[in-house]
Amino acid sequence: MADALLTLDKVTAGYGDAVVLHGISLTLPENGSLALLGRNGVGKSTLLLTIMGYTQMRGGRVAWRGEDVSRVAPHKRATRGIGWVAQEREIFPSLTVEENLTVAARAGTWDLPAIYKLFPRLDERRRNMGNQLSGGEQQMLAIARALMTNPALLLLDEPFEGLAPVIVDELIHAMKLLLSDRRVAIILVEQHTDIALELTADAIVLERGTVAHAAPSATLAKDTATLERLVGLRVAATP
Amino acid sequence: MLPPVFGVLFDGIAYGMLLFVLSVGLSVTLGLMNFVNLAHCAFAMLGGYVTVTLVNELQWPFLATLPVSFLAAAAASVVLERLFYRRLYRASDLDQVLLTIGFAFISVAAAAYVFGTIQQPIQTPPFLRGSTGFLGLGLSNYRMFLVGIALVVTLLLVAGLEYTRFGAQVRAAVDNQRMARGLGIDVDRTFAVTFALGSGLAGLGGSLAIDIVGLDPSFAFTYLVYVLIIVSVGGLGSIVGSFAAACLIGISDVAGKYYAPELGAFLIYLVMVAVLMWKPAGLFGRR
Ligand SMILES: Nc1ncnc2c1ncn2[C@@H]1O[C@H](COP(=O)(O)OP(=O)(O)OP(=O)(O)O)[C@@H](O)[C@H]1O
Ligand SMILES: [Mg+2]
Repeated sequence: MADALLTLDKVTAGYGDAVVLHGISLTLPENGSLALLGRNGVGKSTLLLTIMGYTQMRGGRVAWRGEDVSRVAPHKRATRGIGWVAQEREIFPSLTVEENLTVAARAGTWDLPAIYKLFPRLDERRRNMGNQLSGGEQQMLAIARALMTNPALLLLDEPFEGLAPVIVDELIHAMKLLLSDRRVAIILVEQHTDIALELTADAIVLERGTVAHAAPSATLAKDTATLERLVGLRVAATP
Repeated sequence: MLPPVFGVLFDGIAYGMLLFVLSVGLSVTLGLMNFVNLAHCAFAMLGGYVTVTLVNELQWPFLATLPVSFLAAAAASVVLERLFYRRLYRASDLDQVLLTIGFAFISVAAAAYVFGTIQQPIQTPPFLRGSTGFLGLGLSNYRMFLVGIALVVTLLLVAGLEYTRFGAQVRAAVDNQRMARGLGIDVDRTFAVTFALGSGLAGLGGSLAIDIVGLDPSFAFTYLVYVLIIVSVGGLGSIVGSFAAACLIGISDVAGKYYAPELGAFLIYLVMVAVLMWKPAGLFGRR
């Protein structure tokens, strides 16, 4: 069998002395899609940061296409094909929208025309500075900026958090286009469980830094008992 | 016919331009990278001695030595950065000050050992000597040349930082190092290159300074004072700010020595205090 795109093998990691993740294992194939669910503070963002190489590894290993990258610096992981969209978006304020897109761009199918086709709003705002955007536009820019590096894996940390419903719909539409191409794998952290499970093939649920449950997304979507126990039922709130 | 005050003004601006080339690199490393490099003028002094050696020992033409002094200072700074400075990027200001002031002392001792403590003579090409008449003023050719170089340097720096991808990467890394790394930008390398460019400019400034202020081993400290004043008056990390502050300090210094000799070299400190009381972050500073 060919090597998976990303493999975590019993990863234990955290910040300094504080260990947050305990023995996490997961596998993501090329073009795979994984929802990462769990309550506030269980370590979802920390898991993405660990995949990027920002946290302190205490044990286990992270493998990229079969190669151990546990000790590889974040910027080298990025150039190998991991694109990260941070929870706080972290747009560069002293760069224009277009500079935010091109500053770290690497050759591939995603270039400015393709991005502006996916997010026409960014085209209209291309000359604005990064700190002059609305929350929704910042989120689009954060996703677009990561896509411009032409990653094989996109890590999305709560991309719909705090956005107006129309913007969320726009982003979901863009995400579906993105996934239908089947050129990029995603790991999607999301509080909106229903959306996350609809967009992905597989899902894992974290609890206190460990994997509490793993299942195909379609199966988990119907398993309301497990969702209620591990995530709390946000799904029920939406009609 | 222009009154003599314009002559003083011109000399002051030309002196300011020299101070600008000397100081802009420190403004960038201090403002953008938060690194306190008190050995900055040691790199300038190195540039000066490279020029002196090439002109006096090897009979190079003065102008041909300028790129060499730039490269020598840049290369020396890269070696120090790789070996020492990078370990202290996250350290306290005091640690950085102690390390870099140590290098400044070493540079003074090394220069005195190799070249002696005398002032170094320099031969500039004939067309840079003498002066050109302009509406009754005699404008020094060398000073006009200084102004020209400083304007070119300013344009290149501003254009490089604002309109190139490398410039955007520097700004991105300054805004948010973690995110810059997360997108694949090699932040360490970006900072090392920026640091080398700044030190190279100091080296160039050191060569240009010889004809105006002379060169001896005390250069590394004498001009450190001017450079620190300009960086704080202009505002950390601002190229335009350094330019404005260098003009202001250059004019104040020349005018002070000309019109109020008893106040003499003290005037620039008054100017600094006045500006910082008005704008504590400096003319163009943001923090
Ligand atoms: N920089 C840090 N240093 C120390 N501890 C941290 C740091 N960042 C997060 N933590 C801790 O790690 C734990 C997991 O945090 P993390 O941000 O990964 O959770 P999360 O699942 O993403 O939560 P949320 O849904 O609120 O985004 C929390 O207890 C948090 O307090
Ligand atoms: Mg989080």
